[in-house]
Amino acid sequence: MTTTERPQGSDRQVVPAEVSLVDDKAIAESIAKYGRDIYNDFDIDDPVVNEKFHDVLDDLVEKCPVARSNVGEGYYVVARQPLVRHVGQDWKTYSSARGYQPNRPEGLPFLLPEECDPPIHDNWRHALNPFMGPQSVAKFEPVIRQDCNTLIDLFIDRGHCEFVNEFGAKLPGWAFFKNVMGVPIDDLDKLVESVERGTFEPPEDRPKYFAYIFEYLDNYLKERQKQASKGEMVDLIAAGVKYEDGDMAPYEDRLSVLVDMVFGGIATTTYVMADGMRYLAEHPEQRKRLIDNPELIPQAVEEFARVFPPVVALGRAATRDVELCGREIKKDEFVMLCYAASSRDPRVVENPAEINIERETVLHSAFGVGPHRCIGSNLARAELRCVFEEWLKRIPEFSLQEGQEPIYETGILRTMKNLHLVW
Amino acid sequence: MKVIVDPELCTGHGRCWTNAPEVYTIDDNGYNAVTGVPIDVPPEHEEAARLGARTCPERAISIIEE
Repeated sequence: MTTTERPQGSDRQVVPAEVSLVDDKAIAESIAKYGRDIYNDFDIDDPVVNEKFHDVLDDLVEKCPVARSNVGEGYYVVARQPLVRHVGQDWKTYSSARGYQPNRPEGLPFLLPEECDPPIHDNWRHALNPFMGPQSVAKFEPVIRQDCNTLIDLFIDRGHCEFVNEFGAKLPGWAFFKNVMGVPIDDLDKLVESVERGTFEPPEDRPKYFAYIFEYLDNYLKERQKQASKGEMVDLIAAGVKYEDGDMAPYEDRLSVLVDMVFGGIATTTYVMADGMRYLAEHPEQRKRLIDNPELIPQAVEEFARVFPPVVALGRAATRDVELCGREIKKDEFVMLCYAASSRDPRVVENPAEINIERETVLHSAFGVGPHRCIGSNLARAELRCVFEEWLKRIPEFSLQEGQEPIYETGILRTMKNLHLVW
Repeated sequence: MKVIVDPELCTGHGRCWTNAPEVYTIDDNGYNAVTGVPIDVPPEHEEAARLGARTCPERAISIIEE
């Protein structure tokens, strides 16, 4: 007798039979707590989402399968893990070809392979994946560890640092550019700043930052096309991949892939690192656990990615009219997959609000779900592991500087602006 | 006990391989190398194989009890 057991949530193509109607009491509570009905009038850029981040996520998960936003062209938000998984995996119904965000600023070029579907998505991913697979990334570790120590050397004797700018914003860029991309690290600060501002400035101001990034990388890619291949990811991008029709990817697609990789490579890991470091600064007992048992660090990294998600939500656009938990989604309307919320769904995580660095089963959506799974997830994990291991060896005792409260910023991404540490 | 990985659902998160490298193998892309066919799990690796299945964000791994 053979029985097949799928872990909970085996509803692969079945939409959970839930309805998005929220009762009047929950709506009244939402208005009292957040100043708006987050279930029928959500706004991911509302400062209240930043201020009451975890409350908003938990209320969405608990009370509303599909929330609605009326901002601009409007969009929907799914927060529960089975639903996020369903939408993320069903790329034929929920497409990336209209981009990863609703209300797209005008003049913003599409980024590949993030903002396209199979088969073009898969053509690029199959070519790019080997550069970012676990075996490739393992080879980068000595350089990453050395970079951690180079950065720590710059401020360790001073007894304090502002972690975000002096360490967290630099390390991921160094790791990515040195090991994977081959873009000169001297130009990194300007690129990082442009990525940040292109993400968090008001929408109308964003295109000019993107324009800078495109221009810089356009010049770089053309330069590399003239040179002999060094076998780096940028060489593969410069050479292009073959599409289904037999033609090679056009130059503008190659440039778009390069921009996408750079964006992902430098804009996100910083936040997990910084808020994880804040947690350890404020929880000396957990910090001591990791110092005494460094083999727990990989598990702690998973938990940090679960509770400190840099990517709050990314969107898909419906390719046809579709009903989802009682919401009538029209063709071309956006559904945001709230990864940050889905990692806090009690359906798949026990006591999700609790931060437990020794949690045995850490299931989270920090790197997305479906074919667009973050291509840099292996690199991000390696970076985070190296950072916490090296930092705790060099600076085992540290705390938050009094009177310097960290500032957070939240939209489709979440970030910390500062983290003042003393030791 | 056996496990089976759905080739359409595996997108290379690598959690199964990290938690149970004795059971799951990955290709150069970082995706499961063996999919669509049952993989035998020796008793000593059953617990790790289950953890690998539980931590898969795609729910791509089924466990077959015999």
